[in-house]
Amino acid sequence: MSFYGRHPRPALKNSVDVQLQTAFSDGNWPSVIRLADKRFKSLKDPYYEAIKISAESQLDSAAEKCSVLVAIDALVKSKTVPDYDVLELYEWAARDFLEDIDYADTLGPLRARWVKANPKSPLAVQCLQSCLEYWDLVSAQQISATLDKANVNTTDRRYMYWSVLLTFLLSISPQCTENSRKIYSLLALKQLERAADITENSPKVEPTDRGLLTEEEFYLYFRVLRTLGFKEDYLNRLESPKLGALSQLKADRKVLFWESLDVLESWGEWDRIFDLCKQALSLGLDGETPEFYVCDLRIWKKLVAAASKVANEESALEEVQSILNRFIAIKDKANAMYRKNISLALLETTFRFPATLLTPSPDHGGLTPRVIQIGLFLENYYDRLAAFDDVKDYVSQLSFEEAKAFTEIVLSKMLEENSDKTKRVILKALEYKIRYLLTTCPQTLSHHPSVVDGEEQAKPYRCRFCSKLASLPCEHCLKQMIVEAADTHKQIANDAEIKDAIPKLDRDPRLDLSLVIGNALLKLAGLKPQTGDIAPSPLRDVDSGLFLRAVVVLDSQLKETPSDTGLRLLLVKLYLLLGCASYAQQIWIPMDVKRTIQDALSPLFFDRIGSLSPGLFQSTRGLMDPLRSYYSNSLRDSCPLRIWDAFSAGSYSSILDLTEYDSRLRRSSTLMMTLVEERRATRAFGGKLDGDIEVSPFTEDIGDNTELVNKTDYGSFTNLEGSQGPPIQDFVRLGPDLSNVRSHLSFLTEQYLDLLGFKPPKDYKPAKANEAAIRDRNYIIETLARLNNSLTMFLHKSETPLFLTSAEMTYNTVVSLLSASLLTSISTSRADPVPKAVCAIGSSVRSAFAHLRTSFYTPLPTGSSSSPPDIYSSVINFHTMSYVRDTALAMKYSAAFVISFHEKELARDRTGKSSLHKEVIAEMKALDAVATKALMELKKHVQKMKESLGEGGWLDRMLDWVFGLEEDDEQEDEVAKAVEQVIGGRAEAEEWVSKVLESWREGAKGWGMVRME
Amino acid sequence: MANFRRFRPEDLNKLSKCNLDPLTETYELGFYLQYYAKWPSLFQVAEDQNGNIIGYIMGKLESSPDVYKFSEHYLPWHAHITAVTVAPEARRLGIGKLLTEQLEVAADANDAFFVDLFVRSTNHKAITFYKSMGYSIYRVVKDYYGDHSSDPTKDTEDAYDMRKPMKRDVKLEHIRENGEKFEVDPNDVW
Ligand SMILES: CC(C)(COP(=O)(O)OP(=O)(O)OC[C@H]1O[C@@H](n2cnc3c(N)ncnc32)[C@H](O)[C@@H]1OP(=O)(O)O)[C@@H](O)C(=O)NCCC(=O)NCCS
Repeated sequence: MSFYGRHPRPALKNSVDVQLQTAFSDGNWPSVIRLADKRFKSLKDPYYEAIKISAESQLDSAAEKCSVLVAIDALVKSKTVPDYDVLELYEWAARDFLEDIDYADTLGPLRARWVKANPKSPLAVQCLQSCLEYWDLVSAQQISATLDKANVNTTDRRYMYWSVLLTFLLSISPQCTENSRKIYSLLALKQLERAADITENSPKVEPTDRGLLTEEEFYLYFRVLRTLGFKEDYLNRLESPKLGALSQLKADRKVLFWESLDVLESWGEWDRIFDLCKQALSLGLDGETPEFYVCDLRIWKKLVAAASKVANEESALEEVQSILNRFIAIKDKANAMYRKNISLALLETTFRFPATLLTPSPDHGGLTPRVIQIGLFLENYYDRLAAFDDVKDYVSQLSFEEAKAFTEIVLSKMLEENSDKTKRVILKALEYKIRYLLTTCPQTLSHHPSVVDGEEQAKPYRCRFCSKLASLPCEHCLKQMIVEAADTHKQIANDAEIKDAIPKLDRDPRLDLSLVIGNALLKLAGLKPQTGDIAPSPLRDVDSGLFLRAVVVLDSQLKETPSDTGLRLLLVKLYLLLGCASYAQQIWIPMDVKRTIQDALSPLFFDRIGSLSPGLFQSTRGLMDPLRSYYSNSLRDSCPLRIWDAFSAGSYSSILDLTEYDSRLRRSSTLMMTLVEERRATRAFGGKLDGDIEVSPFTEDIGDNTELVNKTDYGSFTNLEGSQGPPIQDFVRLGPDLSNVRSHLSFLTEQYLDLLGFKPPKDYKPAKANEAAIRDRNYIIETLARLNNSLTMFLHKSETPLFLTSAEMTYNTVVSLLSASLLTSISTSRADPVPKAVCAIGSSVRSAFAHLRTSFYTPLPTGSSSSPPDIYSSVINFHTMSYVRDTALAMKYSAAFVISFHEKELARDRTGKSSLHKEVIAEMKALDAVATKALMELKKHVQKMKESLGEGGWLDRMLDWVFGLEEDDEQEDEVAKAVEQVIGGRAEAEEWVSKVLESWREGAKGWGMVRME
Repeated sequence: MANFRRFRPEDLNKLSKCNLDPLTETYELGFYLQYYAKWPSLFQVAEDQNGNIIGYIMGKLESSPDVYKFSEHYLPWHAHITAVTVAPEARRLGIGKLLTEQLEVAADANDAFFVDLFVRSTNHKAITFYKSMGYSIYRVVKDYYGDHSSDPTKDTEDAYDMRKPMKRDVKLEHIRENGEKFEVDPNDVW
């Protein structure tokens, strides 16, 4: 049997005659049944009966299909040792059921029983493999223990370690009963402790010994010790000259060393971290030739961090400096990467230690050792792509005086001393990025009294660079930067020599200039981080003209540097904010996010996409299919992917990591996003859903307590923001990131809609209608109670509003209220008193909904320097619009559900006792009326939007909007000119305007197809 | 800015700096995990200070299946570089070289005759990179790739099979001087 082929048909025993063999391999099941039955009767060999049963299970009728399950059950109960070939046959024949029946209660124990009776058979390992394929850890552990016992003196060490490892895995798995957990933990730990003792105490471990020998065995030991053992034991063994981290490191094995740094840090063991890192680095210096293998930046950072935490900081610093100086002395022999790490270690030391401990330098104002060190580092690396990222965190930490000295003295001097035109341009681009960064750092501003001479001040700060009144960041400095960066841009455009040199550079300096201009414009426009309670559209209070200028600058840069992913990702996000989903998609596609990287990267485009642009699901067939098939492929088996490969290779640490990764992937918020976005889109166009979300194989094990994990990767964003404030992605995302809370709420609201949408099959006529009705009612009540409980639990968490947009908050709250209302309505029949709560909840629903609609229809605030056309407020509000619709529909469907329930009860039970109160029905009708009216209104809104976008004259209107601002101050006028010049004039923007318009039209067209009922 | 360490599955959530670059192929999850399961020490990464992966190498140790033992194309025990990539921002710092050297150390420790790899015949940067470390062309595999990286009018591209001898190949029997002239069919390589 092959592990990865999906259940290939097993070969029959050689003794089986050709006729039956042929029928079996042809899949001619009626013949197989007939022949096998005949053989069984004549030969009395139960194997033939098993063939017959297996063949029957391939037929269509339900009874026959299940015959193999009956046979398996009988085998389990019989307590006899099954025939191996029969097991193979049954496992294959029952393959379609194995998802549902518990392998651990059926075939697993049979396999374990077989191995117990045949421990030396080579087929025993196959049994282990089968149990692992179905992730039956209980049987797998038993089998491995049997195998270990049967193979004591073998050189194949895997038997022992399989057994230990499976005992450990079982002990931490939900498959283990609470009673046995302790025993298994103890067993795994004790076995490994014994192995560690053997290794510790014997001069040499032979392959037949039960000590620790291979790299992977050592790692397994330390992992188990960390999880199940005592801290003291772990610490002792970590320092053991034979087992410990350093001895491993000497053998070029870094894994344990790395792991132990994390463990020690979690325990706050800084003294030990200091010693360990110091010794590790000394290893590099002790040999005859320098060994830079240990010069990872992380080791340096940990060493320096630890030195500042140990008791005697001063002597620790001396030690750090002495090691560092020795490395600096030999640094020229190192690979460029390690050379850079050593330079960064020097920077790290300078920043981590109090100034008093560093070599004192005469007071040059802000020209401190920290500033000088950044300068020295940049002298070597300023023209490298990573230069800015390398120094960013350090620059953010500079005091204002230092920052001033850094930009005005150090950077200026570097510029002055560099006569190469191209290099000067690179340096200037770096300088602007650093100046931008500094505008995001609060230390460059001082507080300004909020009231001066009895007048309230609009700007709370004074910028310490330009002395102007400012908010965070300083507008004057930003504008200044835009003008200067545009000037440099122009200089490049006019200089053939520089332009020729650009292709040979690490990075086109114009890209950095555009990024600075773009980011500065976004800030000037007033873009704020999208965390927590946000306005209906993040762009609502943003100056649209400035925002669009930022976009056009960045967009025209993308034409020059199409392969820069940082720029591409930023534009994707900006276009999504702008309601241009189809254009964002065009920019997204060339990045070719596919296969494995989808889990971490797809949310960058797909999160909330259905609420922004349902039409994309119509214009792109199978929009999210690649994501869904990624999860189907990766999570198809119940066991972690490739787990047997790791078992058979003896890669024990890989087994533990693969198991953890698998569990994480099954709980991915991206996976939940995929399911929910697809369902919402399908529903929007009246399509048929694949079944209830709760029965999807992906959600099987997800309960309220399952932590759904967000692993969105923002690593490729170009982030010019200071490290104290939020990163760029928080500014340009439509709302809060994916989260456990949001994923659960989406999952629950989908389940609620599933319940409302349930229709029994047309030909379903239960024999006992009354009993069935009671059962249905109970089921509805139970489901509603569960959903309401869970929704309320998530919504009541104090931090929940931080994870949702305000539209999502309203929608989820309304659904939660509706579930409560339905629960009360349906569980209160006319025989009970009128449920007052229903009316109260109804009025809460209506007021929440009214609030959402008001925020949607409220015109944009006026007063910004540009006046956008009316349509703008619609396109930047698609997300809220989507939730106005969804909330209205949830109300409508809920009302319809109650009314239909009531009518069915009336028809069934003529006494009228089990139908609902008229007050309840009236309330539901009222809800329906409000929702219906809102949907009509929305339909008109969409129609109007489409018509308006279809009118002529847009191109000029847009250009006027973006470029034709009446600037009332000289600096703003300069900014406007700068932007025009960077993009090559107003005419150049025409193509861009048409793309934006086209995308809005497409979006509106998609909305026109969305059902409003 | 960098750390070198063994790959861990959660690194797959941090691949964007490498894999959004068009020259780097993204595989199915099972492919990465297979390497991690079977040859964990031959899967090494470089990460930056924020945990982003800025380079990785993925390799394996194997020989051709026994049934080809007597074929002229049979490959004895050797290490194979399946993928090596460095993020654009971290190139020309020796990261690629360090990663490859680590794999070579492992190849020697496992008694391999040589290390080999396939590279697109138009990927001049990578070819220079390998040559700088002592790899040479052993043979040309005609139309090995089902697409062409730079010429849209072509739908296939040749691969160079490049090799570097390891300590076990004392007599340098597994490399040749004029490998460019040896052309083989994709069916001849496993
Ligand atoms: C090929 C690649 C892995 C090189 O990684 P790298 O970390 O930049 O390479 P290194 O810095 O270690 O370079 C080592 C030596 O290779 C040579 N080299 C590397 N890149 C080169 C280039 N672009 N041009 C010329 N020589 C180059 C140089 O001799 C260099 O030594 P030097 O810098 O001291 O002159 C990297 O460019 C890459 O990821 N490319 C895209 C993916 C790819 O093509 N992979 C190979 C598929 S088979």
